[in-house]
Amino acid sequence: MERRREERQHSWWRSRRPKDVKIRMKAVGICGSDVHYYKHMRLTNSIVKEPMVIGHEYAGVVEEIGNEVTHLAVGDNVTLEPGVSCAHCSHCKEGRYNLCDEMKCFATPPIHGCLANFVVHPASLCFKLPENVSLEEGAMCEPLSVGVHACRRAGAGPHTKVLIMGSGPIGLVTLMAAKEFGFPRVAVVDVDENRLKMAQELGAHEVGCVSTRIEDVEKEVLEIQQKMAAGIDITFDCAGLEKTMRTALKATRSGGEVCLVGMGHVEMKVPSTAAAAREVDILGLHRYRNTYQLCIDLISSGRINVKPLITHRFRFSQEDVVKAFNVSAMGGSAIKVMFNI
Amino acid sequence: MAEVQEGGFRAFHPSWEDPSCARNLAVWVCGVDDLRLLPYTVVPQLGMNDVRVKIKAVGICGSDVHYVKKLRNSRVAMKEPMVLGHESSGVICEVGASVTHLRVGDRVALEAGIPCNSCVLCKEGRYNLCKNVRFFGSPPTNGSLTQEVVHPASLCYKLPDNLTFEEGAMCEPLSVGVHACRRAKVEPGRRVLILGAGPIGLIVLLVSRAFGATTVHVTDIDQRRLMAAASLGAEGTLRVSSDMNDMENEVMELKQLIGVPIDVTFDCVGITKTMQTALKVTKSGGKVCLVGMGQDNLTLPLTSSAAREVDVLGIFRYCNTYPLCLDLLQSRKVDVRPLITHRYRLTEDDMKEAFQTTAMAGDAIKVMFTI
Repeated sequence: MERRREERQHSWWRSRRPKDVKIRMKAVGICGSDVHYYKHMRLTNSIVKEPMVIGHEYAGVVEEIGNEVTHLAVGDNVTLEPGVSCAHCSHCKEGRYNLCDEMKCFATPPIHGCLANFVVHPASLCFKLPENVSLEEGAMCEPLSVGVHACRRAGAGPHTKVLIMGSGPIGLVTLMAAKEFGFPRVAVVDVDENRLKMAQELGAHEVGCVSTRIEDVEKEVLEIQQKMAAGIDITFDCAGLEKTMRTALKATRSGGEVCLVGMGHVEMKVPSTAAAAREVDILGLHRYRNTYQLCIDLISSGRINVKPLITHRFRFSQEDVVKAFNVSAMGGSAIKVMFNI
Repeated sequence: MAEVQEGGFRAFHPSWEDPSCARNLAVWVCGVDDLRLLPYTVVPQLGMNDVRVKIKAVGICGSDVHYVKKLRNSRVAMKEPMVLGHESSGVICEVGASVTHLRVGDRVALEAGIPCNSCVLCKEGRYNLCKNVRFFGSPPTNGSLTQEVVHPASLCYKLPDNLTFEEGAMCEPLSVGVHACRRAKVEPGRRVLILGAGPIGLIVLLVSRAFGATTVHVTDIDQRRLMAAASLGAEGTLRVSSDMNDMENEVMELKQLIGVPIDVTFDCVGITKTMQTALKVTKSGGKVCLVGMGQDNLTLPLTSSAAREVDVLGIFRYCNTYPLCLDLLQSRKVDVRPLITHRYRLTEDDMKEAFQTTAMAGDAIKVMFTI
């Protein structure tokens, strides 16, 4: 028994570095990108060339720590920021480590994800959860980070009026972050009435039901602008389709910004000249950077409540895994699907 | 006599029959390719905050040519004849009662757009985006390719002694370059790429260098324009085609030519091919600045560039640029004189030739009228 445990430890020790920790999984969320890899084996330019472990929204318990780890102890509950950057390229040194060309992120091929019993991860990317933050809420820090990063990139403030296109998990975390960042007026639109109800419950000031038909853009722009009489400063497109981008570029006021968060269509025909001639800028988003501690603080202080977003829970078995992915893929009333151990 | 043309365009203006302004001639566009030198009424009574300016130099630009050919821009159509021109300078010949910073005899550059000064955009300082701006030579506001205009004193900037009227007029296109470089935050350390070496591309080149960009590279389909860019300080140039199929190769060639990541790409053409090139060639976290207005509906691979946080910034005219333009010119950090390639006077024949020369591009960079 003793020897077998030693052997197990030994194989893990081989791959572990002094600044790493070993985490036992407790909660992992599924994201649209995980589903996309499952269904299409690719996401824009990332292609799955061989079987890959999925999952990147992770929280667990520290089981072992490397020699040089000082800020964590065995038994700590932690949430993991999934992307390991190189730390010496110019992007990393300038603080934009999310753009690192050598980024190794859980579940972005060829890097395996973390929907597993254990992972080994740099301690600097593991954030201790306070007593009042559950492991599920810890795992939610990952999608919440996208919302926080979006609001930060958009450079907004207490005067900013915002439109969010898409009331799925990302639209909703963006809504939550927007309210926390003090935006006085947030409108959310979606094709699904149930998702809009959730947006209203989470504090959207205005909601609107839109269609999937591109012919409806002009009409919907007018309706949205009427609802937000004082003008839309920033639109977060959390769907990322040609139609939503067209709507966003027309509905946003001159001098405003459109933040493309969603990844619906890769090539879009957009009225760029018209938008540029009103200095409506298009900002891109790539995951997030320097957001985890803020997310933990927002959840811990009660200012953001992510629990309503977790709509489905599954255990970690073959059957449950397949069911969980299918539920997540169907969207609708499923917002965040979470695995629990 | 009113001639009603297609689309409700009345080819007549009351100025032409006003005896009081027979002395003030202007270049009018009266129909497609129909340019005429005719009288232009200027208000006889000066507002308290206005000045009357005798125009001395006016440059013309692609947008002026566009009105001659199409009688419209992408947003608004002309409903009647219009005086062209918006790049101008002159001498003050009368000042309004409340004007203190200018005097008769002062030589000034004229900022072309009069904003409303009361809307949110104006109050935030982004007056170039004012919905009610009255801009020289943009329908329905008559332009400044004439002998005399009345203009708000706050939009007239005194020329330093060592600058000519032509350089004063050049402040207008130069402002586009300044506004673009400001929005894109060009500064020391930045590697800049400019697509399109026409007048605007060349101006952006000059301003980028003045703003301290480490290197500036330029592309164009016309070798002559690339030679102009090289002589104005571009580190390197690349001749490109107008064929979409060549784009992938050109992106690779550009990356090889420049050798280091590109921080800012200015698209001074504004068509699908140049924008797609810009989005692919710019580094992650960089900026693409759409300055040119070639095409309205562009097909862009937005998701893949947005997923690298390559931002797309729009540029519309300029705001708060004239004082800086005059500083740059006076100190010779920017020298626009080589850009003025053709000069004409305010006569019927010269007028026609001037516009033809501008429309043909090629050797012509900036065509200037001397009034």
